[in-house]
Amino acid sequence: MTNAFFRWIKHFFRPPQPTRLDLSRRGVILGGVAGLGTALLVRSSALGEGRTFSPTLVRPPCSLPEDDFLSRCIRCGECMKVCPTNAVQPALGEGGIAGLWTPVLNMRLGYCEYECDLCAQVCPTQAIRKMTLKEKQQVKIGLAFFDKNRCLPYAFARTCIVCEEHCPTPKKAIWFQEVQVMTPDGTLTTVKQPRIDPSLCTGCGICENKCPIADRRGVYVTSVGESRNPKNQVLLDSSAGAGYY
Amino acid sequence: MSELSRREFLAACAAAGAALKLGPYALDALAAPAGAALSIAHFRSSPQDPAAIADEARRLTREAVNGLGGMGRFVTRGDVVWVKPNIGWNRLPEQAATTNPDVVATVVRLCYEAGAKKVIVSDNSCNAAPASFARSGIQQAAQQAGADCFILDERRYRKSAVNGKTLKSWDVYGDVLGVNKLINVPIVKHHGLCKATLGMKNLMGIVGGERNRFHQDLNNTLADLAVFFRPTLVVMDAVRVLTANGPVGGNLADVKRRDTVAAGTDQVAIDAFGATLLGLKPQEIGYVVEAHSRGLGAMDFESLKPRRVEV
Amino acid sequence: MARSKTAWQVWLRRLSQTLFAALFFYLFLQTVYHPVNQAGRGVDLFFHFDPLVLLSSWIASHQVVAALLLSLITLAVTFLFGRWFCGWICPFGAIHNLLTTGRARNAKRRIAGSEYSRWQKSKYYILFALLVACALGLNLTGWFDPFSFLFRGTALLLYPMLDDATKASFGWVYQADPGVGSFKFTTVTEPVYEVLRRHVLATTQPHFTGTLLIALLFAAALLLNLYRGRFWCRYVCPLGALLGVAGKNPLVQIKRNQEACNNCRLCVADCQGGANPDAAGWKPSECFYCWNCHSACPHDAVTFAIHVPGGEQR
Repeated sequence: MTNAFFRWIKHFFRPPQPTRLDLSRRGVILGGVAGLGTALLVRSSALGEGRTFSPTLVRPPCSLPEDDFLSRCIRCGECMKVCPTNAVQPALGEGGIAGLWTPVLNMRLGYCEYECDLCAQVCPTQAIRKMTLKEKQQVKIGLAFFDKNRCLPYAFARTCIVCEEHCPTPKKAIWFQEVQVMTPDGTLTTVKQPRIDPSLCTGCGICENKCPIADRRGVYVTSVGESRNPKNQVLLDSSAGAGYY
Repeated sequence: MSELSRREFLAACAAAGAALKLGPYALDALAAPAGAALSIAHFRSSPQDPAAIADEARRLTREAVNGLGGMGRFVTRGDVVWVKPNIGWNRLPEQAATTNPDVVATVVRLCYEAGAKKVIVSDNSCNAAPASFARSGIQQAAQQAGADCFILDERRYRKSAVNGKTLKSWDVYGDVLGVNKLINVPIVKHHGLCKATLGMKNLMGIVGGERNRFHQDLNNTLADLAVFFRPTLVVMDAVRVLTANGPVGGNLADVKRRDTVAAGTDQVAIDAFGATLLGLKPQEIGYVVEAHSRGLGAMDFESLKPRRVEV
Repeated sequence: MARSKTAWQVWLRRLSQTLFAALFFYLFLQTVYHPVNQAGRGVDLFFHFDPLVLLSSWIASHQVVAALLLSLITLAVTFLFGRWFCGWICPFGAIHNLLTTGRARNAKRRIAGSEYSRWQKSKYYILFALLVACALGLNLTGWFDPFSFLFRGTALLLYPMLDDATKASFGWVYQADPGVGSFKFTTVTEPVYEVLRRHVLATTQPHFTGTLLIALLFAAALLLNLYRGRFWCRYVCPLGALLGVAGKNPLVQIKRNQEACNNCRLCVADCQGGANPDAAGWKPSECFYCWNCHSACPHDAVTFAIHVPGGEQR
């Protein structure tokens, strides 16, 4: 019985012809070089942690830091399918070549629901980590910025603040200042001009998503301030990491 | 009345009504016997137990509608009713961003008791609809009460002639245009732009399109909607109200109990009353003033001699 | 004598492929919001049993999600019994299988297209390249993993297209409201639409960017089956390669009856894996255990049996 077992193991490692895999040495070397080359190419790219940062690389909340993320994400698209607002999209160039088909958020198509963590629930390799909903709500995926050249109360002296209306943080991350401005016909009017509070903003993107300036939004989210990357920050007192990574 | 002939009927009424500036549901309401225009039910205590709060909400809703003469005054046998609560946000009922589910369920039950053939409960949510319908508790409560609670189909909006001061033509949800009665069931909340979101603001959930442009002229757009729709009845949920960081809220500290449900046929009066629950004067709410100035109702709700009942 | 009907093993295999494919698409549809804030249960099931995901994840990040350890079962079963996974379970393989059956009727052409080609080694080189990159922290196996490929293609491409087409068709009927006499078609189409909306269709139409590339690759992967049967499985799939390495010396092996065999090579004509079930020498690493050879052989000369290690070979 044991003899047969050892013979079987021996046959596994030294199978007789023609059952052998018969891989050519050249093929193996080529394969190895291709793998090595691609990995080194990506490592040396300027788009990596601590070098340049892609403002459009806004990853789902609770995503691992980028290098770890790329080592785990299997580009399966589960997070893209489950996202209830259709925000999660397959990256093309945002994360470099290596990031092809990894998840990025497109705030024009959707936004990150505050009371939701479905992407973390479905990720098979936990490149997006499952945390409690409360923990997820503390994670920042970026920061919102106003484009004052386009935002209605700044650019056109018109009332709006749809962004402030939708902001989901318990204390709103968008506050407003009542300012007296001049209208095109020369009269003065008071408008509420919105501003971001960066210590509260999680980068969820609902402001960008609901902004009425359909083509290029008056408020938009970029990746800076994301909790998972201590280098991609803007605030001195940012609590990036906050013990989650 | 078959679907098609009802449309023809409505079209004829609309033509006649347009001359009188009446909304699609106003004729049905006009046909109803006259009665009180505003009824306010207030709970004597403020229980903390969830089951007790649910019971409070149910009883207050019944008392408020009874104070107007009962649902039979508004809903008749065979009616198809659209109950329009606030299901706009992905929040729990305790966060007071959406209408209390027990208030909604009671309105549904009252409609069926009055002989309604079908009651529809739906809203054009701002947050993701499946999440909002579920987390607010309204989908479950409405379905348990026997309503058809479904998420709106994005392809069923129809360009309609609103013919308002600001809104000329806008996407209105097709099925809404085909029902007999519309019951608006808002919740009282703070709002950053217009100070308070009440009944007329809640009508935004029946329209589609780029609603995010309304805010450039909110007073007129909301008054236009109020004139166009003229709901048969407004049942205002003020069991819990959101006093700050509205209309989305999130912080339970911003939620205060008012233990009140109001019902009324005068959209302006009931919104004016709702504003006072947030410590505001009706004159501070721009769209209330605008609607009042268009003759849609009375801002001075006390002048309507509202029926008040302590429960 | 000449076998005229398909072997029962082949029917069983087809049933298995159908059931697992149905399970895959069922789990796909379950990957959606459930009240309250729940994704469907077990939607990751296929990935949990995928040893390529386990291996690449572990090599690249030195950590594993516990659930992925289920894939060791797949490896163990393959190590013991061979690449039954590819023939009976893999839904992507089943789709390639389906498209392969639409090939040449001519047996000679089929034989030429189905026999073993040394290009089948390319999947092992691809696997090796991917694992080397993983060792340096770059995990690109997701581009080539069959479940990733299939899920991605379905989620970003097929499902949105299906959703749009269905809603557009039913929507057209709703708006146009055609009828015959007093009977309106909507009395039939609307209830059907409601069922579809509740269980299959998306709440809002999903839209995805950059789908052209995915569409081209997906189409290419599927169309290449017309050139060589189960092209992806034979030449590209790194999971197949991994299972091929694991299944090098399985306990279930081909059993050929030398006397009965007349070298007609009909067994090769329908061989899915290009495993050479004929006299040329069976390759266990390439065999999917689809039983087509057994079914096709007119002389009952080919079958599979438990093979005592080191004992009597075929």
